[in-house]
Amino acid sequence: MENLITTTLTLLIDTSYSWIRMFLALGLSIVISLFVGIYAARSKRAEKIIMPLVDILQTLPILAFFPFAIYLVILFVPGAVGVNVAVIGLIVTSMIWNIIFGVYESIKTIPKAVLEVADLYRLGILSKLRKIFIPAAMPRVIGQSILSWSIGLFYLVTSEIFSTGSTNYTVSGIGVDLTRLAFSDNYYGYIIGIVIFFCFVIITRFAFFSPLEKYFNRTQKQYVSTEDDHTKFISGGNVKSSAGAFVKYIKSNLRSFGLSNMRSWINSIYAAVKEYRRILAISLLVVLSLIGFLYALNILNGTLASYEYQSLYALAYSFIRVWGTFFAIFLISVPVSIYLIFLTKNIGRYVLLFQILASIPATILLPIIVRSTMSMPFHSEIVAFVVLFLSGIWYMIFSVIASHGSIPSETNEVKNIFGVRGLLAFKKIYLKAITPGLITGAVTAIAAEWNATIVAEYFTSSGIQNGTVLSSVNIGVGKLLDLTLNSGNLLQMLIVLINFVILIVVINRLVWNKLYNKVETVYG
Amino acid sequence: MDNQFLINVSNISFSFDGNPDHKVLENISFASGVDEFVSIVGPSGCGKSTMLRIIAGLIKPLSGKVLYKGTEIKHPIKDVAFVFQDFALMPWLNVLDNVKLGLSYSDLSDSDKTNRALDLLTKFGLSGFSGAYPNILSGGMKQRVGIARAIASEPRVLLMDEPFSALDELTANSLRSDILFMLHNKDISVNSVIMVTHNVEEAVELSSHIVILSEKPTKIKEIKEIDMKYPRNKHDKRFSGYVDDIYNTLISQY
Repeated sequence: MENLITTTLTLLIDTSYSWIRMFLALGLSIVISLFVGIYAARSKRAEKIIMPLVDILQTLPILAFFPFAIYLVILFVPGAVGVNVAVIGLIVTSMIWNIIFGVYESIKTIPKAVLEVADLYRLGILSKLRKIFIPAAMPRVIGQSILSWSIGLFYLVTSEIFSTGSTNYTVSGIGVDLTRLAFSDNYYGYIIGIVIFFCFVIITRFAFFSPLEKYFNRTQKQYVSTEDDHTKFISGGNVKSSAGAFVKYIKSNLRSFGLSNMRSWINSIYAAVKEYRRILAISLLVVLSLIGFLYALNILNGTLASYEYQSLYALAYSFIRVWGTFFAIFLISVPVSIYLIFLTKNIGRYVLLFQILASIPATILLPIIVRSTMSMPFHSEIVAFVVLFLSGIWYMIFSVIASHGSIPSETNEVKNIFGVRGLLAFKKIYLKAITPGLITGAVTAIAAEWNATIVAEYFTSSGIQNGTVLSSVNIGVGKLLDLTLNSGNLLQMLIVLINFVILIVVINRLVWNKLYNKVETVYG
Repeated sequence: MDNQFLINVSNISFSFDGNPDHKVLENISFASGVDEFVSIVGPSGCGKSTMLRIIAGLIKPLSGKVLYKGTEIKHPIKDVAFVFQDFALMPWLNVLDNVKLGLSYSDLSDSDKTNRALDLLTKFGLSGFSGAYPNILSGGMKQRVGIARAIASEPRVLLMDEPFSALDELTANSLRSDILFMLHNKDISVNSVIMVTHNVEEAVELSSHIVILSEKPTKIKEIKEIDMKYPRNKHDKRFSGYVDDIYNTLISQY
């Protein structure tokens, strides 16, 4: 009993430590974001440099840089202070990007007339900041901070349990406690820890963010539009009619599969094959040039070539893991998002629930996930899947919800007036309406997954026990980064990171930018 | 109930929270028959658009019924179409697909639907825009697409919620003529139009009957019959007489 009380007290104190780090990081993020965001929105030259940079930075796997960052910071600021600076710095780098975007967009959408009024009354820069820019940005800043808080918690817990081979970089905090409790089989303690963490999350949401949200949104429109009054009634009867619609759809498709359509079918198959051949040719070219590059490198420097080979090999494996998990995230988030946006009246309540759930970082569950799946076959892959999944899913759902403001409020009415049901409604309305949200969500979800590979693929108890490897996939970039850090092989770590960043930037350019542009021409 | 009317609104009451003490609409009754154009006018926020959505079957009334040819409307039906104030085009569908959305009730094959939608677009002067997305269209063009979508499924009743208020006067004028042409053209299915508007002149120009509503809880103050031939001349003394008369009824305190 006494033991339990001591554990609870320790947990309370350590969670408070963690929360202090979080608040410091959030405050710092908001201040920096306000300056950077306002500057980028008001200065054309700054905008051209800052915004693309922020765009790249937010999709980079910052967590992957953590081992490197901690190594550097501790070189200059040794001891506990250094570790704390590194941890807070890391949390800032995870929180700041979406807040900057929020500030930037808020300032950009200030009505021109408001700025003209400010000029007419000759407001100085400070007055403009105080009376116009900051009040205009704050509602979005708070909204984004709620998301940032969840992201920050993920990094907080991860950074706390981070440890390296011989040197123990562990700081006091809930992340360390939970890992320790799980692996000393103190399940009561672990459960108490989770409950305390959860309570802190709830209290922060309701006692900190809710009042702020209420205060800064007092002049804004309600989150849920009044049209939603109709939504519940409108959505009635969807399920019943979808079976009929499905049969009709099949029938009409069978009808349309006539001879007259054969030519267009052949054409589209031909186009697909052509496109496929193009992709195949590009892939082949990439593989061949990589092999050539490795071969050349091998002649120059055998060690470098083997590092490069290992990086590429690990990236390929992690790529499959990350995108495979993303596929699962996609399959689940599409129906959930459609339900939230079109079929329920209670979107506000669900958003709150999801915000709270999302605040529970996958990493806090990691010790118990690892422990409970240990005897299963492919246990490391299961652990990796669960952690990657939990890291990415919320980005998709929140992104789609955030984009719901740009969907015409009469969409449901149009659907019902014209009897658009079943598959047709899914194809022509639901899926297309959420497409922009899905794309932005996918970018951030995949970035979050890449980030999480460093804990998902390799998990040791070195911070709290004897360094036993508890979960380790066969091969992966997250694992490789962990291993290079453990062995102190800075050169290899750098090579891995460079390859990692190149891969992310190339995917951004080839996949996401194209999709963005396509969406922009239609929805923009 | 008399079946000569296409739409029969009978004793409709409505409140947003379902509480009879918070009524927005109270005992609203009127009808619209073949070749009739009924406008609903009233102060801002009195529930005109809500009334129209009840007729469309989008919202359930607290009490009362809306009948279409004697059958109660409980949900949207194929014969009653709707034109929205802000057009309500789906931004992710091109013009052709937006119009085809209006044919969702239909059993036509996809290619027949496409042909019918293309025909309508030609009729509305939009033939070159079938592949365009709504974001490049002007307000007038958007509303033409909205109207083409509404009449695509050959409805008999057209409900319009302030359809011209987001348009400039010239465009609005030309669309008003289009609507009257549709109503009186036997080749087009629409036999009856019910329109919500805050523009009294527009109501007098187009309507056979004008339903004048009061402040909340909204009741009918008067249903005015406009007995003038089309096309109506705004400079005609009788026209301005009707306009003055309706304004007086709107601002009167009973």
